[in-house]
Amino acid sequence: MGKVVDHGNYVPAAIPSQALQAGRGEVLDKVYVLDGNSCPQIPAAVVVDADASVRLTFIALPGSRADISLDVFIRGPHSDVSLSGVFVESGDDSISLNVNMRHLSPDCTSDQLFNTLASGSSRFDFHGKIIVAPEGQKTESFQTNRNILLSDEAQVLTKPQLEIYADDVKCSHGATIGRLNEEEQFYMRSRGIPENEARGLQMLSFISPVLDRLPSGSDIPGRLEQAIRSL
Amino acid sequence: MGKDILLKVSGLHASVGEKEILRGIDLEIRKGEVHAVMGPNGSGKSTLSSVLTGKPDYTVTGGSVYFNGEDLLAMKPEERSWAGLFMSFQYPVEIPGVTITNFMKSALDARRKAHGQEPLSGAEYLRLLREKMASVGMKPEFAKREVNVGFSGGEKKRNEIFQMAMLDPVLSILDETDSGLDVDALKIVASGVNALRSPEKSSIIITHYQKLLDYVKPDVVHVLKEGKIVLTGGLEIIEMIEKEGFDRF
Repeated sequence: MGKVVDHGNYVPAAIPSQALQAGRGEVLDKVYVLDGNSCPQIPAAVVVDADASVRLTFIALPGSRADISLDVFIRGPHSDVSLSGVFVESGDDSISLNVNMRHLSPDCTSDQLFNTLASGSSRFDFHGKIIVAPEGQKTESFQTNRNILLSDEAQVLTKPQLEIYADDVKCSHGATIGRLNEEEQFYMRSRGIPENEARGLQMLSFISPVLDRLPSGSDIPGRLEQAIRSL
Repeated sequence: MGKDILLKVSGLHASVGEKEILRGIDLEIRKGEVHAVMGPNGSGKSTLSSVLTGKPDYTVTGGSVYFNGEDLLAMKPEERSWAGLFMSFQYPVEIPGVTITNFMKSALDARRKAHGQEPLSGAEYLRLLREKMASVGMKPEFAKREVNVGFSGGEKKRNEIFQMAMLDPVLSILDETDSGLDVDALKIVASGVNALRSPEKSSIIITHYQKLLDYVKPDVVHVLKEGKIVLTGGLEIIEMIEKEGFDRF
């Protein structure tokens, strides 16, 4: 639970003219898949009006390079934004993700969950900022970035930040960088599960919280599983 | 090596880091026998089970282990499992995101594959799963639970015995399976071990206390101290330890 209150320094950001719009009461649910060959058009900004619900999911399969910057402007009350992503990197893949979650209006919620598996000599950079304007009372905003390094050469840089100018909010952020748990691996192997398969199960388990947010019937879990098993 | 010898440990030395913990273990287990290995804390009991199951972090610095005539120390942990070795962990590991159903399916499929068998059909597998869960008194809803996540101490140990029943090992090592168990859980564990007793199967019960041994009567009892087996005998040793503790060794 982080809380910093400083009404003095708040500087509003200008809303860009080119932005994805979620109008009053609108529900948006979009999935962006980067699969090496194709990189979808990811908006640079999202504007969220009252009572809207926005869910954006980013999936990167091995072979992707991308520089994603996303500014979210939550400007109407009682809206909800959920951003999530799974980034599976190999070789010399490089992905950077910059998110500014701007709570400009009261009584809104937002949640971010980004899980990365970095192998080879790949690199992942995360800069995530939750900004709660003085008007953003009763905001609930959470951010989590979990990273697993699968090789000695892979690199992850994660920088979660909170900027809070309202005094009645619930905000938290958390970031972890680690390796696959070896105790779990040995336990599985002692039951006859081969090492590769054990690692595969661990990686699938690691990304499953994001997969749970995907629409049912999506082919993405299957594609991710295939990608993970070939790491 | 005699035909009926299942496990033969000779002059086994093992270290963790720079520290030598096993300092020349000799142990011979025949088919059908239940052996108890007793010893005070720090005597090397858990190191012995870790080395036998191939846990990384332990370095074997001398000696040999043959299991059914095969060089056990040359095998990976999963290969040891396929060959019929099983250890009930002192501290069962939580595996978030993996259900008991999927966990055991992966384990059984891998072993069947290693033996050149087709995987069980979904229906066959579920029948086996339900049967074995019932046999150790595990509620059916545990099948959907993540492995050991949020389990009580007793539930974790019960899950170990369930996995043992599923994998039907030739040699089971119970590493302090009785620690932290109440009498009811202890009886479940004991009946699980006793149910697997057969002329072809053997167990090693590693324990600090005699509690479990009230319910599972071993054929041979060993006392382990400072990395060596200092005494081997029968049930009279248990009584002696109960009366006098480990200090006399």
